Amino acid sequence: MKKIFLFIFFSGFIFSQESETSEYDPCSDPLLILARKDGIKAMPLKDIFKYRKLVKECERYGGEKVIQQIELRDFERDFKKSQTMASWTSTYSICVFIVMIYYFIGLAAATK
Amino acid sequence: MATPTVGQPKLSNDLGFGFYEPTMDGFDKNEEVFFPTGSFSERNLLLNWGVYYEFFSNARIGYNSFISVELGRMDLQNSKPAFIRSLKYRMFPLETFFRWRPKIEINFTLAPVWGRGRITVETTPSEKTDDWNELLNSFGDRDPMEEMGSSDAMINDWIGYSGMIGIRYYISSRIGLDFKAGFLNNSYDKTNWRLFKKKVTGPELKIDKLPIFSFKVIYGIK
Repeated sequence: MKKIFLFIFFSGFIFSQESETSEYDPCSDPLLILARKDGIKAMPLKDIFKYRKLVKECERYGGEKVIQQIELRDFERDFKKSQTMASWTSTYSICVFIVMIYYFIGLAAATK
Repeated sequence: MATPTVGQPKLSNDLGFGFYEPTMDGFDKNEEVFFPTGSFSERNLLLNWGVYYEFFSNARIGYNSFISVELGRMDLQNSKPAFIRSLKYRMFPLETFFRWRPKIEINFTLAPVWGRGRITVETTPSEKTDDWNELLNSFGDRDPMEEMGSSDAMINDWIGYSGMIGIRYYISSRIGLDFKAGFLNNSYDKTNWRLFKKKVTGPELKIDKLPIFSFKVIYGIK
């Protein structure tokens, strides 16, 4: 009986499963893929800290270019979207500008 | 070719400061009640917070609150009660913008303003009515209070409007620094104050046609 117990106990070490040999790549994490594809702001708020951790890990892993690309794409995406004023927004901006000019001319005239 | 589905923040909040220069003669030139001299932080500094929603690729709507607070002790004849004075400029801005450079945005804002002034005096129950009447007399009110509640504050509401032009620099795609310059116009009337359901006269304040500057940090939530 004692031998059987000893066999069962040590068999866990003798016939153990092989350890995972494939390395973990933080740069190919689904969160970074989402950030690259849809932008940093597409990530849920709860994943921001995880994202920052992944960014550091990815940079340490040699993926500085991947991170730079994510940030650059995000700025370019925003830039393209709002580079020119569309529809009524330009008219509105001109109105604001005219109101401002009118106000400051009035202020200058009143203080003279 | 696939179009990007996500852009700049749809929902953002901001926190910062505002600067303006009102004239508060009701406090600073009051000959009957001595108020501690207002410093820069109590007269010219405004705390500022806001929430914005981008409903169009070049426009956002939101809520923005500028708050000026003063704390101190008044020098009345029989007591030195603590008083708190706050002026809130609650704005409902409609802002349009465009990106001049990938990280730089120019924005244009017009906002209706709902302003509220509030003066609270911490007095002892036995001297409450006398203290309030002395304060109101110093503001020019000639109709003394006869009864007061347990916790009283005089309140005034007014409307106004504001226009601003600003520049925003995005440090990252979520965080930005925003500087705005413009004006603030309020239709404040010193006879419109309310205290314990009664109309009273409040302090003389000149808060119309004021240049205003704001500096804030933006955080894009989503």
